[in-house]
Amino acid sequence: MKPVVVVGGGIAGIQAALDLADQGVKVYLVEKSPSIGGRMAQLDKTFPTLDCSSCILTPKMVAVDRHENIELLTYAEVKEVVGEPGNFKVKILKKPRYVDVDKCTGCGQCVMKCPVKVPNEFNLGMDMRKAIYIPFPQAVPLKATIDPEHCLYFTKGVCRVCERFCPPKAINFNQKPEEIELNVAAIIVATGFSLDDARKRGEYGYGKYPNVYTNLEFERLLSSTGPTKGEIVRRSDGRHPKKIAFIQCVCSRDELTNKYCSAICCMASTKEAILAKEHLPDVECTIFFMDVRAFGKGYQEFFERAKQEFGVRFVRARPAKIEEDPKTRNLIVYYEDTETSRFTKEEFDMVVLAVALRPILPESLVKSGLIQPDNYGFADVPEMYIEPVRASKPGIFVIGVLQSPKDIPDSVIQAGAAAMRAAIYAISG
Amino acid sequence: MSRTVALLLKGEVSSILKSLGARNLYKCYQCGTCTAACPLSEEVTASFRKAVKYAQLGLEEKIAADPAPWLCYACGECSEMCPKDAKPTEILAALRRYSIIKYDWTGFSKRFYLSKTFELMSIAILSILTALIVYLFKGPVITERVDLSAFAQPTVAIANIIVFGVLSLILLINIYRMYKFTTSQSSSSGKLPVSTYIAEFIKIIPYHFLTQRLMARCRDGKYYYTIHLLLFYGYAVIFVHHILRHMLLPLISPTLHLNEVASSIVGISAFVALILGSSLAIYGRIKKSTIIWEYSHPTDWVFITLLWLTSITGLLTDIFKYSGLPLPTYVTFTVHLMFVVPLLVLEVPFAKWSHLAYRPFALYFNRLNEIKQLRYKT
Ligand SMILES: Cc1cc2nc3c(=O)[nH]c(=O)nc-3n(C[C@H](O)[C@H](O)[C@H](O)COP(=O)(O)OP(=O)(O)OC[C@H]3O[C@@H](n4cnc5c(N)ncnc54)[C@H](O)[C@@H]3O)c2cc1C
Ligand code: SF4
Ligand code: SF4
Ligand code: SF4
Ligand code: SF4
Repeated sequence: MKPVVVVGGGIAGIQAALDLADQGVKVYLVEKSPSIGGRMAQLDKTFPTLDCSSCILTPKMVAVDRHENIELLTYAEVKEVVGEPGNFKVKILKKPRYVDVDKCTGCGQCVMKCPVKVPNEFNLGMDMRKAIYIPFPQAVPLKATIDPEHCLYFTKGVCRVCERFCPPKAINFNQKPEEIELNVAAIIVATGFSLDDARKRGEYGYGKYPNVYTNLEFERLLSSTGPTKGEIVRRSDGRHPKKIAFIQCVCSRDELTNKYCSAICCMASTKEAILAKEHLPDVECTIFFMDVRAFGKGYQEFFERAKQEFGVRFVRARPAKIEEDPKTRNLIVYYEDTETSRFTKEEFDMVVLAVALRPILPESLVKSGLIQPDNYGFADVPEMYIEPVRASKPGIFVIGVLQSPKDIPDSVIQAGAAAMRAAIYAISG
Repeated sequence: MSRTVALLLKGEVSSILKSLGARNLYKCYQCGTCTAACPLSEEVTASFRKAVKYAQLGLEEKIAADPAPWLCYACGECSEMCPKDAKPTEILAALRRYSIIKYDWTGFSKRFYLSKTFELMSIAILSILTALIVYLFKGPVITERVDLSAFAQPTVAIANIIVFGVLSLILLINIYRMYKFTTSQSSSSGKLPVSTYIAEFIKIIPYHFLTQRLMARCRDGKYYYTIHLLLFYGYAVIFVHHILRHMLLPLISPTLHLNEVASSIVGISAFVALILGSSLAIYGRIKKSTIIWEYSHPTDWVFITLLWLTSITGLLTDIFKYSGLPLPTYVTFTVHLMFVVPLLVLEVPFAKWSHLAYRPFALYFNRLNEIKQLRYKT
């Protein structure tokens, strides 16, 4: 039996790794960042059940870490792949953390003492982390990592404070990149997505008006591990908003940016509006939509609940632009309510943009032709109907949002499907 | 989606609209961005999105009743923001062309807009006819000095009166039909007092006719607005000058004359304004330099070309006249008439130039509807 490599440690990659490992197949899970978890780790609660996202995800992450058949390669990337189905040679580059993971206990002493502050990517730059950091409290592995681009020792040759304070002496400035070569039967790719740049629709003022947020930023505001510890407050003055507007299809279904529908944002905004109401019972939430795409199990009901039970207001309109009142930093949204044909300028004190999902294709696999981008840049699946998770090359599987916009349940289903397909190669190999 | 809609609804109206320039009609998904993006929405009640919907559905009566296309000055801001690249600016322009067809009771507009051959043939026939009339009815050809009045009299004077009378009548009837259309679909059946009609007329028509101020609101409108003013005032000055000089004054008394120097300065500068304006517009249309000029319907080309040729020949006539060259003056004057006549006869009541009346009247009728709705709101 041959091992399988899973690239990308979001919910899709995690599930695929677990499903394979549970069948007795050896799995290498390669994750680019210091921790697995992906986007789901950044979400507060999930539609349509409003379950706590990390309550579902964290046990799975821990299971990956403990599984005897899974070898976790975090802070690592695939550099090169050659070969044929059943027999791929995969070169992996493991970046140095400058922390000995066998010694590090995740105590966080180093983080506390490190003098350098850097925008925190986990919270989308809304707060700061240190040059040595643990990305989030539930990180797996729960180990510190030094970011050499900002660490004073690497940039100026001074400091080493972390080294002095680390109880088990885990800091090691001499770590070198490590190359690992594997021979595997199949490869599952689940490298996920990031949001498109909302500045492409400049008329909404993202990046210019402080109180305009992306939906992922808003998820972090809702989260108790977020930059505001779960308080919904405005970037400009730290006050609670009274009126929040959610604008749908930003950079989606749009000829100038992305023509496709991002699939999850109708439900994500509905969820966020409900959660905002739960956080601040007096807040008014308005969702500007063109079509509500409530396609999944329980989604239509979720949408109805938002309207009936939580009083979320839905207005059928795509706002043309937003202007800011320079004094109050409130936002004036210009739209035509298409049900009454009225042109309206309405003031809100916070705006949340439902921004399109853009896939992240691992360069090395694209270059070697193992994955091909489709018209929109997602990973192509040439046999949509009979092999819905197979990439251009047999033996390579593409799952999750990397392949097309989708929610967590669909990502998990694809993970199972890919695990089964990969296992066929692993067992016969 | 768009294809199914197109197949279901592609009636005659929608295919006519496509040929009138609504190239991306079925791309629109009715989001309302265009209405909200339009700088004029701040001032007038109109839904440009709804106008596009009427076009998609091919609802003839609704289109003819909707003043919205006439409130759009084609600045292109909506097209820039439209997420579907439906180019609402072009759809609205097509709707204006379509409305001109609907308002025209003679049926001539329709043929003019839908057939290039018909358009060019009508121009050619009118041109030749004009030349023929000048040739047959011309006065004495005096070669010692330039005497254009002798050469042209009395042909020009008689033709003037006939042409102005007939054209004004046709245009007035068309405006009345426009009024009928706009009120036919109005939701409230209430009546307004005559005084409101008069008061709003006085408030709206002269002001908007003379200033076209709404156009200046367009974001990048200043350049375009300047060109438009050059054309409008160039034309208006020549028109008034012409009426004074050749119709009013001779009518009052044959001995009354305009000051020759002042008159020549006014005439020449008006022609220069027209040449400048139309040259810039032609250049813009060739270069497709802004959204306004991205699409040109054949009638747009005919209009601007005729205007340009009219102005050039008008200016040349003046130059020859004031340089004392009799024969060149008479010849260029005849050629000038060969362009002026089709320009006025075809464009004013039947084609693009009718917008000089329809635009202010659309504002007027729209305002009347607004007042009616406010008053009879139930
Ligand atoms: C604002 C928002 C709210 C949402 N709310 C919900 C919800 O309530 N319910 C729901 O069902 N869905 C929700 N979703 C959708 C959900 O986030 C996705 O379905 C899910 O995260 C997809 O998981 P994934 O594993 O495909 O990708 P990701 O979560 O993006 O994981 C990809 C992983 O791959 C790693 N990676 C990237 N490149 C490489 C590389 N070259 N090599 C190695 N590793 C790499 C990344 O670091 C990451 O860890 C929401 C999405 C957004 C944006
Ligand atoms: S050596 Fe670098 S990581 Fe350690 S404390 Fe100093 S700046 Fe921070
Ligand atoms: S590196 Fe040392 S101080 Fe930092 S978390 Fe690990 S054990 Fe603690
Ligand atoms: S899911 Fe909804 S908000 Fe997102 S792109 Fe599709 S229609 Fe727009
Ligand atoms: S024309 Fe464009 S902006 Fe206007 S409603 Fe249609 S899609 Fe929206």
